[in-house]
Amino acid sequence: MASPTVTSEPVAARRRRVGRRHEAFWAVVFLTPAIAALVVLRVVPTVGAIITSVYKAFPGGIIPATYTGAGNYESLFSDPNFVDTILRTLVFNLIINPLQIALALLLAVLFVQRIPLVGAWRTLVFVPVTVPIVGSCIAWGAALNPNGPINALLSALGGNPQPFLTSPDQALACIIVLASWIGIGYWMLFLISGLQAIPEDLYDAAKIDRAGPFRTFFHITIPMLRRPLLFVLVADTVANFVLFVPVQLLTQGGPQGSTTLLMFDAYRTTYGYGSRNLGAAEVVILTLIMIFFVLLQFRLLREEKTPR
Amino acid sequence: MTYIPQMTRRRVLAGFAATTAAALVLSGCSGGDDGSSSSGDSGWSVPSTDPTATIKVLSILDLKTAHMQEVIDAFQKAHPTIKIDYQSVAFDALNSTIDARVANKGGDPDVYWADQPRISALAARGEAEDLTAAFASYKDKFDPTAYDAGVYQDKVWALPIANSTQLLYYNKALLKKAGIPFPSASVDQRMTWEQLTKDAAKAKAAGAQYGMLFGQFDRYYQLEPLPVQLGGSVGATGDKNLTPDFTSEQWVKAFTWYGDLFKQGIAPRGMKPEESDPAFVAGRAAYTVEGPWLIPQLGESKVDWGIAPQPVFQGGKPTTPTGSWSLAMNPFSKQKEAAAIFMKWMSIDEGGGYIKYRSDPELAASTEGKKIYFQKSVFSSPEGKKAAPIIDYETSHTAVNRVQTIGYIEFETILNQAFADIRNGADAKTALDNASTQLATAWKKYE
Amino acid sequence: MTVTPHATEAAGAFTAVARPPVNKPPRRRSTSTVVLTAVSVIVGLGFVLPAVWIFIGSFRPNLEILTTMSPLSWHLIIPSELTLENYSRLLFDSGFARALLNSFIVCIASVALGLAMSAMAAYALAVFHFPGRNLIFAVIVISFMVPFEAIAIPLAQQFTDWGLGNTMVGLILPGLGNGLAIFNLRQYFLGIPQSYREAAMLDGASEPRILFSLYARLSGPALTNSALLIFLGQWTAFLWPLLIVSDNSLQLAPVALASTFGEHAADYGQNFAGTIVLTLVPAISIFVLQRFFGRLSIESGEK
Repeated sequence: MASPTVTSEPVAARRRRVGRRHEAFWAVVFLTPAIAALVVLRVVPTVGAIITSVYKAFPGGIIPATYTGAGNYESLFSDPNFVDTILRTLVFNLIINPLQIALALLLAVLFVQRIPLVGAWRTLVFVPVTVPIVGSCIAWGAALNPNGPINALLSALGGNPQPFLTSPDQALACIIVLASWIGIGYWMLFLISGLQAIPEDLYDAAKIDRAGPFRTFFHITIPMLRRPLLFVLVADTVANFVLFVPVQLLTQGGPQGSTTLLMFDAYRTTYGYGSRNLGAAEVVILTLIMIFFVLLQFRLLREEKTPR
Repeated sequence: MTYIPQMTRRRVLAGFAATTAAALVLSGCSGGDDGSSSSGDSGWSVPSTDPTATIKVLSILDLKTAHMQEVIDAFQKAHPTIKIDYQSVAFDALNSTIDARVANKGGDPDVYWADQPRISALAARGEAEDLTAAFASYKDKFDPTAYDAGVYQDKVWALPIANSTQLLYYNKALLKKAGIPFPSASVDQRMTWEQLTKDAAKAKAAGAQYGMLFGQFDRYYQLEPLPVQLGGSVGATGDKNLTPDFTSEQWVKAFTWYGDLFKQGIAPRGMKPEESDPAFVAGRAAYTVEGPWLIPQLGESKVDWGIAPQPVFQGGKPTTPTGSWSLAMNPFSKQKEAAAIFMKWMSIDEGGGYIKYRSDPELAASTEGKKIYFQKSVFSSPEGKKAAPIIDYETSHTAVNRVQTIGYIEFETILNQAFADIRNGADAKTALDNASTQLATAWKKYE
Repeated sequence: MTVTPHATEAAGAFTAVARPPVNKPPRRRSTSTVVLTAVSVIVGLGFVLPAVWIFIGSFRPNLEILTTMSPLSWHLIIPSELTLENYSRLLFDSGFARALLNSFIVCIASVALGLAMSAMAAYALAVFHFPGRNLIFAVIVISFMVPFEAIAIPLAQQFTDWGLGNTMVGLILPGLGNGLAIFNLRQYFLGIPQSYREAAMLDGASEPRILFSLYARLSGPALTNSALLIFLGQWTAFLWPLLIVSDNSLQLAPVALASTFGEHAADYGQNFAGTIVLTLVPAISIFVLQRFFGRLSIESGEK
């Protein structure tokens, strides 16, 4: 144990050193719960999933597993259904995330205008966010029933009843609509904050330059909104990548596999089929993709800290 | 600027190393290695005197709402020294719960509800105890198909506590309105599906909201007899039944018929299985194919109902769905004798305690239990009296078990999805072909 | 304030609802305003209509909900019969009340423990100076921002192996780690002048006292927002309770609601009632917490 030489040091330096040690001690105490939680809640399952994924076992978990290295990953990537699932998940996210953020942005822009009772309309858009996703899925499932109210509305307007969740061509789109209804209000609020933080003088300068609304929007609003916009885009991607509840409650991956997204597939492989090891491999793949997006999100968040 | 005491730096590094090490240890640590024997101790038998023990029972029937309390009470009365610790989970959660708990090797639960077609899978996974020595001698107490459902590779793994079959119910008022004659209740004058299709369409045209319903749309349990009636297989063949076999001509014909029912609007798309009983009981459907459990509900309803045997395809062999729940024992149970006594009481004693003491009438798997079942009040009504002989005949003569394969879970999941797709308009041949390839991939892991 | 308010405001989005719109130059009541208002109304109604349907449906007999679904009529929204039966059956006859209680217990315990843990970590990362501080901060926040669903399945298997399956503890633990909560609190703590802490230390206060008495009192909004994040995370949790709980009497509300949907898919009345109950709790909590804690801020600390 190293001990500092005490004899010839000035008092101030000693106090500094004691101060540092004092801080280090309390830092450890205060950080231990969070770090312990981190280890237990993130590190351990990730390590566990990786270990499980390199073994192969008879479903069920009693018969001991055998080491298989990359065997499970090979099985997964040579299974056309799994490759389809990954592609489907990627395409799904490529569509839903820009769509939701663009809509949220439009709504945000709308609701920062001077409109009577704007707070009320804003709150109405936010209401779906407060409804628990289970309830929303149940209600939308009822509404989208081929004999349900949405088809009734379509018929009344002169259109044809649609199969919605029972059609492989429409089911995923329905889930996109449902997820958007639930989530857009949330992202809209973030963007409203961002819009409200844009300094007035920029808009005044634009007015002086006689810039029209579109020019103002694309040359001032969007650039100033870049950080919150990117943050919201990545956060939304993270949430949508692990979308699970609507698939679990409404379609179970069908019809004809058209709504089988990666998170649901991992769940079904592990709990439906009892293939823990294959499921663990899917989880590892999912987690790697997630970590990438989270790192991205954090990068963007951190840039917030630089003072302006 | 920053003076870092030697100790602190070392502590930080040590902490980091400890964290990683902890992670590795924790993730590898499992709670079940308590030295109990790997495959359970063999050589137990059903004792003649009751041991004093508490056994844990895992079921899918709620103690209160499914009236299991009375059954448990009756058991406690008959065997006071064996206490039952009863727990129920939702049906969807049962398999994963069994997987997780039994794999823990802690012996919890001692006895659990096992879905009959999954018994081979349970046995192959090592999640069920071999009951041959203790119970093979009771074979003739049961209906043969019910008993066979618990047999895999010539060993007994589970005891049936209930059975099922399917019947054709019809709404007399709706049939009268359409001028359709009532189907006969005699098993010798069975309707054909083809005739039923025509009649259901007529009833719908005359004003019924639904022409016909199935108790369990899109489920293999319900639909398995259709191709079998035409001479097709139950769905798998080969060594150990691990080769998909549902793309044959008979399967395609049967399921083209199924899909057409919905295309023509005779039966509804989008109706969930759970919704079909309430719909028939509310008088909105002319026909439904459902099990005997519909009878008590009809007794309390306003529907003027009639009963007939389940139809068969023209020129086909009468075949009916069958099977229900069995009880299996955890191979790591520490109370095997007590568990065995409970299982015997539930399925065999007095015709099966489960049948005798449960107020909800349940079709028994044992011959003695069936007698008790047919004496229940639901069979005293005029139609009920007609139902009893049908049920008895079907369970003894036309019942065909679902396919027994260790890969049953994948089989049923994938095939049910295909059925749902066919109901929603997919071409039967394509859907079955796709499902077959999917299943072949899923079953690779059993090679 | 030199700290860009984006992130804290993002997390404090709930309070943002009450804010007035940004100060734009006054416009005349022109056609554009009318058009925008019309659009706002339509959009607002469009979003809220399904929720209204659920709300009204929860007070109607189930049969009426089913029969008014098609064909289209005013009766879809205008009920002809109102009843409290859905709520009474839900709360008294089913296991849902039990599930609600379980959810409350889990949420409150998670907030209490999670807030303490986040505040401690945020304090250490904001106030202390030690090597690797930024790295540790990054690691902690990044790890907890990896969405829980990604590792829920292996974590559930670990918990079961450790004997935490089907336990309250197993339900509470994962809710404690919330990266955004730590991030927010740290952000806020960074804005509290060091002079307060130094003054307190001269008075002989220990670090815990500084954190829990001084900083906590100054951090009303941030604590509220973080508490809400943790609370809502646990209140809406579906996948985790689905994986970890098998005993019906321990199940949480969202899963209980979903399972009644599976068993009695035709009983929309009850399902809607359950949905409304589950919605009201966080809505009321947000409202209450905003009123009580929205006031406290650093400004009040100056006095």
